Amino acid sequence: MIEIENLNVRFGSAIAVESVNLLVGKGESFGLVGESGSGKSTLLRTVMGLNRNWTGTIRLNNQDIRSAGRAALVRTAQMVFQDPYASLHPRFTVGNALAEPMRINGLPNISRRTAELLELIGLSQDYASRFPHELSGGQRQRVAIARALSLSPRILLLDEPTSALDVSVQAEILNLLNRLREELGLTFLLVSHDLAVISYMCERLMVMQNARTVEVLTRGDLRAGALKQDYTRNLFRASLHGVRPGVQP
Amino acid sequence: MNRSLAVIENLGIAFSGEDGKPVHAVKGVSFSVGREKLGIVGESGSGKSLSCRALMGVLPPSASITASRLEFSGIDLLRASPRTRRQLRGGQMGMILQDPKFSLNPVMTVGRQIAEAVRLGDRRLSVSSIRRRVLEVLESVHIRGPERVYDLYPHELSGGMGQRAMIAMMVVREPELLIADEPTSALDVTVQAQVLEIMDELVRRRGMGLIFISHDLNLVSRFCDRVLVMYAGRIVETLEAGRLAEARHPYTRGLLACLPAIDGPLTPLPTLERQADWREIPA
Repeated sequence: MIEIENLNVRFGSAIAVESVNLLVGKGESFGLVGESGSGKSTLLRTVMGLNRNWTGTIRLNNQDIRSAGRAALVRTAQMVFQDPYASLHPRFTVGNALAEPMRINGLPNISRRTAELLELIGLSQDYASRFPHELSGGQRQRVAIARALSLSPRILLLDEPTSALDVSVQAEILNLLNRLREELGLTFLLVSHDLAVISYMCERLMVMQNARTVEVLTRGDLRAGALKQDYTRNLFRASLHGVRPGVQP
Repeated sequence: MNRSLAVIENLGIAFSGEDGKPVHAVKGVSFSVGREKLGIVGESGSGKSLSCRALMGVLPPSASITASRLEFSGIDLLRASPRTRRQLRGGQMGMILQDPKFSLNPVMTVGRQIAEAVRLGDRRLSVSSIRRRVLEVLESVHIRGPERVYDLYPHELSGGMGQRAMIAMMVVREPELLIADEPTSALDVTVQAQVLEIMDELVRRRGMGLIFISHDLNLVSRFCDRVLVMYAGRIVETLEAGRLAEARHPYTRGLLACLPAIDGPLTPLPTLERQADWREIPA
């Protein structure tokens, strides 16, 4: 579903992604892990067509994204961002925010589809007339997910979708994403710095550092701690223990 | 943690709502902090930051504060003059916020910002001794090449460096109490560990008190000596460090259960079923 060959992304003289290859199958959930600046978000944005300066090949659902054109791309893949406070238009009602992509792309039956989307994310119909500031963070992220699904894409690109949320809300959103993936047969490419979230959500993952791939692991490898590279082992240790217990007995 | 640095008893904070009626954001909160690491955990809106801001005296004028006791090293904060409270802030009490990108002055070099804090503390210090002091404190938070970092602007620092510079600025006046509000939430896990280690070192070496506010229950219980759990403006439970597994309150247990784990089950995560009686004051 997602095929990336020898991807290089540059910003001026800085290299953000270097020689990355990636294959994600249909219906698979694939994780990208790494520290800030490792290139994982840049990779995601490039797949979505939000960066221009790149070389290599990216194919989504067997279409080369250079030749496929914008209209086809947005119906194949959509992105969900980290901060639901920043990613929804503050003066659009929820209904309007959900309908806008469909209007732009000339889809029929917009109001029926809007109602369906609200149902899909577990919000009642009266939310259609509310504004983002009237919603909690978790509800906003649900709306952002529904908006991403409004054009019925096959792929969701998820950039830290729960790191701005409380843990109890994170659980609700992760459950929602898993249910949607199963019901709609979606493919996920999920960026997170949290190995526990990746292990819970993804069948395979790629660890990135300084714009390059460190290693690709299966969920089983991660769970068994079968890590080949020192960098991944450090990341794993920091995630498990975080802090040395200091003076505690 | 023999003598208490700060004592809060029956603290309430209210804002006026849309219909003019008061909205109680914090209700009946009591705790004290000594020379220890005290963690406060809770979700957004649970009142954890507000309670600490009341202690600092940095709430907006629209907030109405009530308390039967609000003291810092023997000073009655409820009756203290604005001048006294100003002197306490930055002097004996320091505060670190979540994101160094927003809490450092973007148009001033790191060194000058810290120097300003030193100068405000003692106006008789010479320029060269202020500079020496700044370089020392940068070194104490494990910044390599303090001479070079002195002349950098905040945007030239990484997140972890920025947060260390922020800590340096707060501890340079050697406060008795440091309030850290989500100090590591914006940082990578590996950098997080370094920043926590530095704070731990400061508490042990200088005998400082630390209030560590976070939404991360596991992190706080590993790092702190004691943890308060807040929900809807109240303290629902107090836990000793490392006794997280013995948490009794359904809210605390719910918070723990809804976290995915690297080797946890792949079944849907349990979500919190919020109970109305959690909002009541525990008997």
